[in-house]
Amino acid sequence: MKTTIASLTLALLGAAAHAQDVSALLKAADRFRNGSDVNMQVESLVTLHGIDGSQEKERRYTVFVQAKHQSLVLMQSPAEKGQKVLMLGDDFWLLMPGSQRPMRITPMQKLLGDASTGDIATLSWSEDYTGSVVGEEKCGDAPCLHLTLQASRKSVSYQRIELWLGKTRHEPIKADLYVQSDKLAKQARFVMDKGQTLVTEMVLQDQLSNRKETRIRYVSRQPRTVPDNWLNPMFLARNPSLD
Amino acid sequence: MMLKPMLVVVAGLLAAVAQAQDWSGQLRARVEDKTANSQGPVAAANALLPGFAATPADASALDVELRGQWRWLNAAAALHHEQAGRSSAVVNELYTSGGLGNWQFSAGRKLVSWDVGYAFRPNDVVAQEERRTLLSSQIQGRPLLSAEYFDADTAWSLVWVNPTHRGHERNGDEQALAGRVYRRIGGLDAHGFARWGEHTGASVGTALAWVATESLELHGSVRYARRADALLADTSVTGLARSAPWMDGMRSNITQALIGLSWTGESRISVMAEAWFDGNAASAQEWRNWNARGAQLSGLAGRAPAQALAGNLAWQTRGFGGGSSLQRRNLFLRLSWDHEGWTPALDCLYHPADGGQVWTASLGWQGDRLRLDAGVRRYGGPAHSVLAQLPQRGQAYAAATWAF
Repeated sequence: MKTTIASLTLALLGAAAHAQDVSALLKAADRFRNGSDVNMQVESLVTLHGIDGSQEKERRYTVFVQAKHQSLVLMQSPAEKGQKVLMLGDDFWLLMPGSQRPMRITPMQKLLGDASTGDIATLSWSEDYTGSVVGEEKCGDAPCLHLTLQASRKSVSYQRIELWLGKTRHEPIKADLYVQSDKLAKQARFVMDKGQTLVTEMVLQDQLSNRKETRIRYVSRQPRTVPDNWLNPMFLARNPSLD
Repeated sequence: MMLKPMLVVVAGLLAAVAQAQDWSGQLRARVEDKTANSQGPVAAANALLPGFAATPADASALDVELRGQWRWLNAAAALHHEQAGRSSAVVNELYTSGGLGNWQFSAGRKLVSWDVGYAFRPNDVVAQEERRTLLSSQIQGRPLLSAEYFDADTAWSLVWVNPTHRGHERNGDEQALAGRVYRRIGGLDAHGFARWGEHTGASVGTALAWVATESLELHGSVRYARRADALLADTSVTGLARSAPWMDGMRSNITQALIGLSWTGESRISVMAEAWFDGNAASAQEWRNWNARGAQLSGLAGRAPAQALAGNLAWQTRGFGGGSSLQRRNLFLRLSWDHEGWTPALDCLYHPADGGQVWTASLGWQGDRLRLDAGVRRYGGPAHSVLAQLPQRGQAYAAATWAF
């Protein structure tokens, strides 16, 4: 009996330690995507490329990423100017420039449009995913850790992520992104800056339909805490100046 | 407006937006081909006297929309030029806006849109925005003063609409006080509305929007009004009338309600369904009376002076502009697919009372800056249905829009 209890305790402690390891790995990986700040303003340049690599569209976004899963995406390109997407935890709104009525949208509707706002606005895995380390693998010539992650919230764009991190520094290298039905939706790879301190670009290849490529380049990141009322959809509907 | 003044307005607006801190706009070229109906009162009037009643006209036009923000000043303007030579310039919004803590204040001509529906919005009591338009475009705001309070989850709005208008103005142009309270309760948006109009009196309403699952959104609205403006048929008239047998009147104890859903799947196919009751629309009995009068007038052909009869038939069309909906009970269904920049869509508005239908098929394509839209709309149903008797049987359109 004593042996069984001891084995169970050890197993539970082992599992807890393992989960903690994954959490620490994800936090380390997040720091390569968003620096050390929780509240940020990120300027992103998104280009969509055809199968032959030619650029089809260019979109610019300002993203205010705030604590507690809160993000505000401002579309800055001429074709989308004035559009906004507000994400507060599991709740989403779309605001169109010609109308003053914020529209409640579902997590699935968040995926519509030229670039998924979930891809643009989500810079953190540690808050939204739990998982385990599958093992050590080779990513090119370098050793890397393979993690399998499950979403802890239903409203995130991808319910399962297979993630590969550098073994030593835990920088993100590549990821397979699976939607609700467990279909592989996109494959991502991460491009680091010269100093190997921050991810400068995320390259997404569509696996569901067209195999086209979306490149999300993080042009600038700076600490920024926005006022509470900026995260109220009715306030945003007034088309206020958000500088 | 002639070309020279038009150019002056354009130059003035361009100079203004060049000063703006933040501005955007679009240029759109569009063509519309409208098909006149071969049945209904307009067709009957024109059968008696060809060309007597106006039929829908085709259009080729160029539209420019500009929107800018400079310090506390916000402006939105539209310029419109038709191939036929007509031009116009409209200031849709021009207002000043500022804030103090959680309070925001605005004054000027401004668009304020409320409510949660797509095809019907009973609580859109300030702007009364157009719905189910073929091509989206700016709409004109109303003169107003507003004070609003916002925190993280709540919004309070108080709007004094048309503050300089006199009490006898109708159809949303009356002076009114309108208020809205909004509260976010997790996945639920809850709204409460109240309006007091100088001659229509009080109305109250509520609306809810709720994201039920990762694919499904549900919404609903209800509004009760003591009185509402309406165009009413003068049922005492029989035979030929000397003036249009319609009068500006009011309906009392109006209820309007809508329920709807939107669903989007992983395949990016979306479905929207809405059903609504509009107590401010003409009743089934009123439309039966309208049909009976049309039949009575048609029966006078050959026995009454053609001009007088054609005039009476043309007055029948006034019934089409009497309210926010043509029929009280309405069903709407829309299917669309978002696929690599293309959006094909098909929708139908159906009137259960008489079987009338409006079908719209459209295709949109969004490029880097260029957007292309094309589509057709067809009105139909049984011969006695209201929609089958509109002056227009159908419409095809195409547009190219350049964003800058």
